[in-house]
Amino acid sequence: MGFYLFMENPVVIGHKNIILISILILLFTFTISFASQDIAIKAGSIITISDNPIENGIILIKNGKIEAVGENVVLPADVRLIDANDKFVMPGLIDAQSRLFVMDRELNEGRTIEPELNIVDAIDPFIKEYREVLAQGVTAVCVAPGSRGLIGGRSAVLKLNGSKNVNKMVLKADATVKAAVGVSTGNTSSSLARLEHYSSIREALIAAKLYMQRKEKADREMAEYNRKKAEYEKKESGKETEKKEKPKRPAKFRTNPGSDVLVRILRKEIPLQVEAHRVTDIINVLRLADEFGFTLILDKCTEGYLIADEIARRKVPVIVGPVSTSFVDIPRLEYRNHNMSNAAILSKKGVKTALGVSGRDGASSKFITLAAAMAAANGLDKDAALRAITLTPAEILGVADRIGSLQVGKDADLVILNGPPLDIRSRVEMVMIEGKVVFDRKSQR
Amino acid sequence: MVRAADAPQHLAIRAGRIWTVTDGVIKDGVIIIKNGKIQAVRKKPDVPEGMKLLDFSDRDVMPGLIDAHCHIGLSLDIYSEIDETVLAVTPDMQIIDAFNPLADDVKKALSSGVTTVLLAPGNKNPVAGQTAVVKLYGKTTKDRVLKRSGGVKFSLRDDALMSDRRPTSRAGLLALIREELNNAKTHKDDKPDLRIEVLKSVVDANFPAYISAYTVDEIASALTVIDEYGLNAVLIGAEEGDEIAQLIAKQNIPVIYSPVLLFSRDKDLKRVVKMADSGIKIAFSSKSPRTPLSSLRTSAITAVKYGLDKEVALKGLTINAAQILGVAKRVGSIQRGKDADLVIISGDPLQPTSTVEMVIINGNIVYQRQKI
Repeated sequence: MGFYLFMENPVVIGHKNIILISILILLFTFTISFASQDIAIKAGSIITISDNPIENGIILIKNGKIEAVGENVVLPADVRLIDANDKFVMPGLIDAQSRLFVMDRELNEGRTIEPELNIVDAIDPFIKEYREVLAQGVTAVCVAPGSRGLIGGRSAVLKLNGSKNVNKMVLKADATVKAAVGVSTGNTSSSLARLEHYSSIREALIAAKLYMQRKEKADREMAEYNRKKAEYEKKESGKETEKKEKPKRPAKFRTNPGSDVLVRILRKEIPLQVEAHRVTDIINVLRLADEFGFTLILDKCTEGYLIADEIARRKVPVIVGPVSTSFVDIPRLEYRNHNMSNAAILSKKGVKTALGVSGRDGASSKFITLAAAMAAANGLDKDAALRAITLTPAEILGVADRIGSLQVGKDADLVILNGPPLDIRSRVEMVMIEGKVVFDRKSQR
Repeated sequence: MVRAADAPQHLAIRAGRIWTVTDGVIKDGVIIIKNGKIQAVRKKPDVPEGMKLLDFSDRDVMPGLIDAHCHIGLSLDIYSEIDETVLAVTPDMQIIDAFNPLADDVKKALSSGVTTVLLAPGNKNPVAGQTAVVKLYGKTTKDRVLKRSGGVKFSLRDDALMSDRRPTSRAGLLALIREELNNAKTHKDDKPDLRIEVLKSVVDANFPAYISAYTVDEIASALTVIDEYGLNAVLIGAEEGDEIAQLIAKQNIPVIYSPVLLFSRDKDLKRVVKMADSGIKIAFSSKSPRTPLSSLRTSAITAVKYGLDKEVALKGLTINAAQILGVAKRVGSIQRGKDADLVIISGDPLQPTSTVEMVIINGNIVYQRQKI
């Protein structure tokens, strides 16, 4: 029973347990009211990301949400005050290309078409590295399966809130479906293999389109049957003498979990996030998007700077990473034309550009600020660099209603630093997720 | 852009800050270059009349960076072989013979601010071959090559163990190295043998031994051999050196540290800090092509983030590396008489937001950042 309560949606609740549930609900309500004391952060500098920075401002937090931000905020009585007068406050950082909480072998790096796989099923909340990542101000990560080829599965945006219940970490399941084209193995990269990736994904989408049409037809037939059946039964009960033929039930449509996910891509309910490095591969992916009209997110996009105009024209967002090949262990062939100004050039051409660490393993995500600083060193505007690790990834991943900036109504996921975020000397002092202090430097010693 | 070929005899560089490394930071100073050498470092912004001036009043100037261990210009990719693995002992092999100064990766590397590198064989042979110290630009071999042969690289790494030739075990590896060193020690000069002659200069401590050792046990073995034979030695890698930092410091062995990898745990990121705090002289390296040459500065920056003193980090990129490689008379700091190998950078060299804007080697502008 306790287990079901622990889940978000209790599935089976016997009436015998109603008393127990009532007690638990009471306890729960009590805890909520106890924990939900309002918090006000007095900050020297508030980097809102969405609006201009505010000097000597206040952030008011109520029930884990941002209630007010500004220079003049009326504080309620009995507010818990956090003095950050000489500090910087910014939204929690997001690594859109993380491997945190997932063992390498569970990232489904085969070359298969398995859109039905869900990375949430492989999440291990007990991985300790997340503490080190959190200590650098990262409050959310997007983890996606499959970076070796074809369609690897569905990604998820997770919060680093310390919960050991996977469902409570998930901010957004099915954030994207991850695919990859043209990724080499070992030291070989074959043009035929690249074409095969492209055409296999295309075939899968064509099949999904037919599946969608068949399913829609079956749905229509079923609706028609239900209508006729209801009519027939009404006549039966009315005991009308007029004999009418009993409607025939159409054959049941056999659904397929993988195809169902692909249909959601075709219906633009879920974006297809495609890892592509070289120009030829990027062009192939853009062509796929033109043909099928799905919502495309370009991932990695190593040589994107060479065809930035093409990408900008189609308004396709890009998650650039790694900013430097220092983040990867042994740079693969796809990085041959890697350019540290990639993000800067894409951004200047008007492409919505987020940055990811795209590191070798989960611990790499703690270097997201370093990645942004390196992008800034190579031509990306400093404000754009900060946006690229906060609001932009939130927008691309469809979670900007909850996180990514310090705006009224959003989750109180924020970082307090003792200096400007991109300065290497700055230290993260405190990290908050939904108004709860999840990291405090003082308590580390 | 001034083409390298028409570099003037005399050149003055005015800078907002000059990071001399050996003599602190000079604000609003001028560096006078004559015939590729630093003729003067002045603490005033005045420039002598008629001299060609590069005005970087709002920029920083630092010495060219030194990558103390890499495999650049060897026309390699990560998967190709650099070691002569048929034999296990190849002290006569000189890595300079495989160096192509016009290779693509050498040209590309200039943008990272690296001007001098130690080239080394890999880790697959216990006695791997001779290292070299070269600049990434030079009109002539004399300009370019600082040391044709700078020492012998040894490998105590597991990579040196192979199933089809000696050594096949860790103990066997040490036995083989001792055997070779003993041989060289007792060798009589009746029959000249190049391999033995090279090793003889190593046991005589005339010629440095660059010993690749990463784990605690490998480092401990290296320290034992160094002590037994009284070698003039440098450790390469030494990732876990913090565990026996006191021993390394006591034997006064400098360390060419592995690149600081950007997926390491916090514990590993603090190792180099502990080693430096124990008094070990540290130089940074990229191990290129494993990591790009730009990761040299990133290594130092990351080490600073995890607690390394900024001055120590800067020295690890410049003068300490020059001293460890035995080329400090020529490079490693901005001092009168040294080669004019300079990097113009947009700000503090140890900030990740700072960009290398120009690189000068022997007074020649060899790289200039293009606007995007």
